[in-house]
Amino acid sequence: MEARWLGLIMALTLGLALGLGLYTAGAVRAPDTIKPLGLFYIEETFFGNMTAMSPEAVTAIVWDYRGLDTVYETSVFFLAVVAGLAVFRVSGIPARRQGLGLTEIARTSTKIIVVLIVVVSASIALHGHLTPGGGFQGGSALAIAPLLVIPVFSYWALISRGLSPTLLVALRGLALTAIGLVAVLPIVKGLEVVSNIRFYPAYILGQLVSGSLFLYNTFEYIAVATGFTAVFLYLSFEEEFYREETEGGSHE
Amino acid sequence: MSDASLIWSILTGFLAVNLVVTVYGIIYGRSLTKKLISLTIFSDTVYVFFIMIGYRFIYPSVPPVYVNLTTREMEYLARHGVDPVPQALVLTGIVIGMAVNALIGFGIIQAYRLKKTVDARKLVGYEEGE
Repeated sequence: MEARWLGLIMALTLGLALGLGLYTAGAVRAPDTIKPLGLFYIEETFFGNMTAMSPEAVTAIVWDYRGLDTVYETSVFFLAVVAGLAVFRVSGIPARRQGLGLTEIARTSTKIIVVLIVVVSASIALHGHLTPGGGFQGGSALAIAPLLVIPVFSYWALISRGLSPTLLVALRGLALTAIGLVAVLPIVKGLEVVSNIRFYPAYILGQLVSGSLFLYNTFEYIAVATGFTAVFLYLSFEEEFYREETEGGSHE
Repeated sequence: MSDASLIWSILTGFLAVNLVVTVYGIIYGRSLTKKLISLTIFSDTVYVFFIMIGYRFIYPSVPPVYVNLTTREMEYLARHGVDPVPQALVLTGIVIGMAVNALIGFGIIQAYRLKKTVDARKLVGYEEGE
């Protein structure tokens, strides 16, 4: 125990000494200007000639200016989760069991919070082109809802309502296919892959949708939320179930 | 030399120590789970470095988001807005990091199921397991 405290004190002292050393040497200056590249994106994102029609510069970079990178990033995300689920491969879902469950207080408060989470996450994701946020942030927020439901109501609460891992993985595949389609669709007009404003409309019924950014955010929202929910479901199955699976035992 | 530079230097110092401690954790930690925790803290520290590059130590410093959609706001954002590029890079980094961490987590759980240990040295047979 004492060695731990000594380590902590040493690390803190070292950090402070290093910081003061850097200060006296004048090696680190707090930045107060913006870099030309950042300025370019801020000026172009809504008003410039290379506009993405998005008031939010970060979303514009992620899905428009560096859109191709993000499509690749999405495929990395897709492959990583697929690999994870392949390690956990199972032939079905565990048999239903009956338990006591948590108290009425925990159940009721979870019901209220889950509804709030769904609303807030949809707002984060669907306003991603207008305010800070986006598909990934909204999707990770939405995945918190099943993460709360699983310990309070058990994973059967999700599965009995049709949210089986198979359906979630299928939904995720569909959403990722839709992202791919949105990215390739501009080819039919002879434009480059991941073209935005030159192919998709910036306004629909007077509402600013920033072209493809809204579509990307919506589909990414679904893909991330279903992907993480599938991961949480697989992680919440009992260890005995996995033991039976690895040993090749049969079950319903 | 200003107060801002002092705060910035101390922050940099602590982050550098954080990097060293997490690298130590990744290399010397015996448990794979602890290695994974060190790895996540390491990547988070790198993200903070990234965000520090784009930050502007002025008052007020605002996010690069248009609220009123006017050209006057563009000049205001050019004077006070933070750099959006590091934020976009960190966002990409977080997404990939989260997916890869989930994959590593799955691997660790599977290793525990098969070998009944997450001790890196016992897993490779360098030390005897129980």
